[in-house]
Amino acid sequence: MVTPAAELSSSRVHARNAPRMIGTALPFLVLLAIGVTFPLFGGGYWGVIATRACVYWVLVSGLNLVVGFAGQLAIGWVSLLTLGAYTTSVLVAGNATPEFSPYLALAVAAVVGAIFGLIIGLPALRLRTFYFAITTLGFATIVTQVALAWQSVTGGGVGVAGPVLPKPFDSQWGFYYFCFGLAAVCTWMTLNVAGSRFGRALTAIRDAEVAAEASGIAKPHLLALVFLFSGAVAGVAGGLFASLQSYITPDAFTLDLSVLFFIAILIGGHGSILGPLLGTILLTVLPEFAAPLVAWSTFLYAVLLLVIVLAMPGGIAELLDFKNRRPLESGRAIVPRPDLLPRLLGGATDTGALTLHQVALAFGGVHAIDGLDLEIRPGQVHGLIGPNGSGKTTTLNVISGYYAQQSGAVKLNGAALPLLARHRRAHLRIARTFQTPRVVRSASVLENVMIGGTIDGEASFVESLLSLPRHRRDEAALRDKAMLALATVGLERLAAVRADRLQHSELRFTEIARALMLRPAFLLLDEPAAGLSAEEIGRLGALIVAIARTGTGVLLVEHHADLIFDICHHVTVLNLGRMLAAGTPAEIRSHREVVNAYLGG
Amino acid sequence: MVASIVSTGLAIGCVYALIGITYNVMFSASRVFSFTAGTLGMLGGVLGALFVARLGLPVIVGFALALAAGAIFGVITEIVAVRPVLKSLDQHLYVLSTLALALMVQQFTAIEWGTEARPFPRLFDIARGGFDQEYWLPMLACAAVIVGLEWLYRRTLVGHAFLAIAEDTFAARALGLPERRLRMASFALAGVIGALAGFAGGEMLLAFFGNAPLLTFYGFIPVALGGMGNNRGAVVAGLLLGLFQQTANFLVGGIFASVAVFTVFIAVLLVRPEGLAGASAQRRV
Amino acid sequence: MSLTRRQALLSSAGAAVAVTGIAKPAIAAKDPIQVGYLPALTGPSSSTGIGINRGIQLAVKEINDAGGIDGRQIELITRDTQSDPTKAVNGAAELTRGQKVSVVFGPVNSGESLAVVPLLARTNTPQVHPCWVDTLTDPKKYPMCFRNAPTNQQIGGAANRYVVDVLKRKRVAVISDTTGYGTASVNAYVPMLKAKGADVVYQGNVDAANPDLKPELLRMQSAGAEAIMPWSVNAGFLSRIINTRGQMGWDVPIVGQTTLGSGQTKDLLEKPEYWAKVYPNNFRPVCYAPGGKLTGRTAEFLGRLKSAKIDMGDTLLWWIALGYDSPRLIAQAMKAVGTEPAAIVGYLNKLKDFPGVYGDISFTPDEHNGYPDDEVVMVEANSLKDGAFNLAPGYSA
Repeated sequence: MVTPAAELSSSRVHARNAPRMIGTALPFLVLLAIGVTFPLFGGGYWGVIATRACVYWVLVSGLNLVVGFAGQLAIGWVSLLTLGAYTTSVLVAGNATPEFSPYLALAVAAVVGAIFGLIIGLPALRLRTFYFAITTLGFATIVTQVALAWQSVTGGGVGVAGPVLPKPFDSQWGFYYFCFGLAAVCTWMTLNVAGSRFGRALTAIRDAEVAAEASGIAKPHLLALVFLFSGAVAGVAGGLFASLQSYITPDAFTLDLSVLFFIAILIGGHGSILGPLLGTILLTVLPEFAAPLVAWSTFLYAVLLLVIVLAMPGGIAELLDFKNRRPLESGRAIVPRPDLLPRLLGGATDTGALTLHQVALAFGGVHAIDGLDLEIRPGQVHGLIGPNGSGKTTTLNVISGYYAQQSGAVKLNGAALPLLARHRRAHLRIARTFQTPRVVRSASVLENVMIGGTIDGEASFVESLLSLPRHRRDEAALRDKAMLALATVGLERLAAVRADRLQHSELRFTEIARALMLRPAFLLLDEPAAGLSAEEIGRLGALIVAIARTGTGVLLVEHHADLIFDICHHVTVLNLGRMLAAGTPAEIRSHREVVNAYLGG
Repeated sequence: MVASIVSTGLAIGCVYALIGITYNVMFSASRVFSFTAGTLGMLGGVLGALFVARLGLPVIVGFALALAAGAIFGVITEIVAVRPVLKSLDQHLYVLSTLALALMVQQFTAIEWGTEARPFPRLFDIARGGFDQEYWLPMLACAAVIVGLEWLYRRTLVGHAFLAIAEDTFAARALGLPERRLRMASFALAGVIGALAGFAGGEMLLAFFGNAPLLTFYGFIPVALGGMGNNRGAVVAGLLLGLFQQTANFLVGGIFASVAVFTVFIAVLLVRPEGLAGASAQRRV
Repeated sequence: MSLTRRQALLSSAGAAVAVTGIAKPAIAAKDPIQVGYLPALTGPSSSTGIGINRGIQLAVKEINDAGGIDGRQIELITRDTQSDPTKAVNGAAELTRGQKVSVVFGPVNSGESLAVVPLLARTNTPQVHPCWVDTLTDPKKYPMCFRNAPTNQQIGGAANRYVVDVLKRKRVAVISDTTGYGTASVNAYVPMLKAKGADVVYQGNVDAANPDLKPELLRMQSAGAEAIMPWSVNAGFLSRIINTRGQMGWDVPIVGQTTLGSGQTKDLLEKPEYWAKVYPNNFRPVCYAPGGKLTGRTAEFLGRLKSAKIDMGDTLLWWIALGYDSPRLIAQAMKAVGTEPAAIVGYLNKLKDFPGVYGDISFTPDEHNGYPDDEVVMVEANSLKDGAFNLAPGYSA
């Protein structure tokens, strides 16, 4: 029998995709057309402005990945523009080094930019948001001061002439096309990244870092890639900037410029490519309309930023997100399809149990877990209940690597799990959900679920950047699998909907779908029934039972005693960090102490 | 020369420490760092020069007005840039809203007051020389603020309420404390402290719109190194920063001095992100 | 001061808004002649631009009131560079490609000109500018660019001569801000001083925004400096040097950039007596000769300024005079040969002794620096009266 699920892959999804893809591509095609034909109707002056916008976009496209996608507030990115500009100019001028060709100089600027992008960006891994923002500002000042002080190379306050590109790019329009070409390439590359597992992983780090870690996303590695790329294009933009200016001095690289780049991305909306592109064009062009605006330009940018932050944090992207304005059907029901599980999860694997042996963890004087033994067997549902503060979620956090136990061992197949390596859990096929759903609210439900499959991708960052075949294969497979996961939990009709429009219960099931993408050997569920209606709890229960039947070991932390007793094979009751009782549901239900401490009456 | 380094270093260190305290007071009330702390310092200097030098008001009146303006700007910050984003799920919006507000005020000042550093009036008509008022005014201000805050937090009910909000907002609310009003009051207090820093430091720093980014950065270093919310740490770190900066200034000159300060700051932060005296990050999951 | 700036801003805004739009096709016979103008009217290096602007506006008004050039009015198209090289480039691009001006006057600051001169050369637009940095004219590289003001060599030569030969100070401290002009000046002057046998005990570029110059002056003092030579157009920076010298009670002469004597600098001094022993450079035609008199041409110009109610208290007479001379120079060229770029350049290449209030300007095909050497002099700052000064003591020829 052809299952309805078969319809979901290939044909229907792709057929539904085609008009959507054209819809997404349309604005870019329009901009491309305007850009290519610009010399025909724009005068020489607007040509300079257009070239400037292209140069800025080359930098902003990369910075967009850092700020808009990864959420790292790198305000002082003008430092890389400065580095790129000086590197290119000094190399081409040949005063301090042998003379380079402009193209080679631009390539070197890209390398220099990449290296310094990494240096400037890496503190993000150690520092809180505000601190990181301040350090980037510090770097911007350092670079300018060094440019001032290193007179022998940079000319100090006198400055240095910018590079002139060889024919045919030395004329005004020739140079414009060169910059436009690079801007188009950068747009294409960042679009590819946005639609790849890397782009999704970045948004996960930004909005749902704990969920990203649980899905196996390694933040340092990913951020390093993004800083390298972003730094490289910023370096190239610097070289183009120097050429556009025809002469650079340290005071051309002002804080105002940094602010422009940063605000363009925020006005555009995070997680979008089109938004910041339009934002960059807008901010470059806006001050040119009247002379007084030029003096007030930074004030204007700041006002725009404030308005956007307060009124429309989603920015231009949110404004243009027409498809998410369409009303959703009311009275939606979540109807999981447990029969799809075998296809989604594959066959049962040979794995032993997940065991905790005398695990203890104290926070200050509070013994959160005090000598706990637990065993989760594959194919079984193990319930963990107890009053608030008894250590249920802490236990789950220890297993999934967010906390390190102070004594005792957590073992899988007899081998101890590495402490605090929470992003390695996904590779061990231990998946989890969270007490409060952690999703990327500005992404679609489908994209959120695809985040769960990040570690299955094989294409490298560069392959994604250039949209090589392996990247496209990855994406197709991932998309199919995610649709299957959504069908399994009963949410496939909401696949394209932006996650922040979902009801709470739908978010919970989305998390489960995401967790299932890992084909988990062990699934840890943290109060999945909280906030669900009685009917939904029933369906959830059936789904969990079916998941266990395919061979997954499930740990269910819950308050809903009925659900626990209905579906668990074993139950452990915690109180004050210690095991109060353990056994089958029947045994626990009548256990005197449990009834006193927790169940009541 | 040593005398000059010490007096200038301690004096400017006190200004940095006061801005650090401004950051801390705003942070305690809202768990948010605001980019407007440095701008408050700048306003203290610019408004002081405006009221006393340009408009010719008596020093006391100009002083009071400058502090009042600081309080008002603090409250505006809370209402416009902090309160609306506290509710939002995106934790980082406050960085952007306070940055936007700070930039607006800075740019407005640059255009209306001018982009040049203008002189700050001499507050007390004593002859120059020796341990001049431009040095002991910031120190006096810093000492006054420390003593005042101690008294406020330990001896007054309002101060206790501030501490309660800082410790645990939910518990405080459960106890019936008017959280919003207290937060506004905290921001007003922070505004006063920031403006005081700028006013007391005016003779040294002059009335200059560019003091805003300068104080935003240098005023944050005491917070970063001394630990978030830790006022004592901020003072110690601020004084050390001032001395280090002035020593570098005298030895190698302005450009290299700022490079040295930034480098040391970033290096220390990377080694100890929570600061030399701060506590580690809390539970995330 | 801010009022004047705002007026300037509004007038430039008005001009820009009025002519923003599609570039006009071939200029008809009685259409106005468009002259591009790139002053720095706001920003840290705006003192020069503001002063020059007053002269320019007066001259253009006079020319237009007298019927313009062959019945065509001069239309000044202004773009405030805000002391920012980037905005100067944008402005220059708009003037040449958008507005299609016949000639550009400016920028008035060297840092901005370093970026704009090559750009204007590429668009074949004749340019006259008053910036001092030596490399800003080059008859081979920039055949259409002319300078109607002295070069750094001329200025520095006069100042150095005063310090070493007249004041007889051998140990010198040279300080500037970090702008292109400041850096280039220090780089040019230090070797010149050494060639004269002076000992440069301190050489530094300091951020003009730095409020505390005490460390720098203390370093100069401990290095044994006997004279301070500051090179900056930033009135705030210069006033801080003067104030710090006064606060330290350090009795050494300050000899340097003309802005040391401007009304703006004077307003920023803590005590009027600090202005003693400050010797800025200036220009003989606009100074009081011994005996307290101005030359005929200058006295008459001063009269015209007074009746036009132009404020001189916060600026320098020579800036206004330079501003006044520049449109008249351009107008003279256009009256003679029309508005074609090649013709204007050809005329300027043969210009001999254009009678400016500020000085007599001459060019040749190989020499595009038009100001005569011997008109650069040193003056005494605190003798400021009506924008003009007395020559410095001991100063001869």
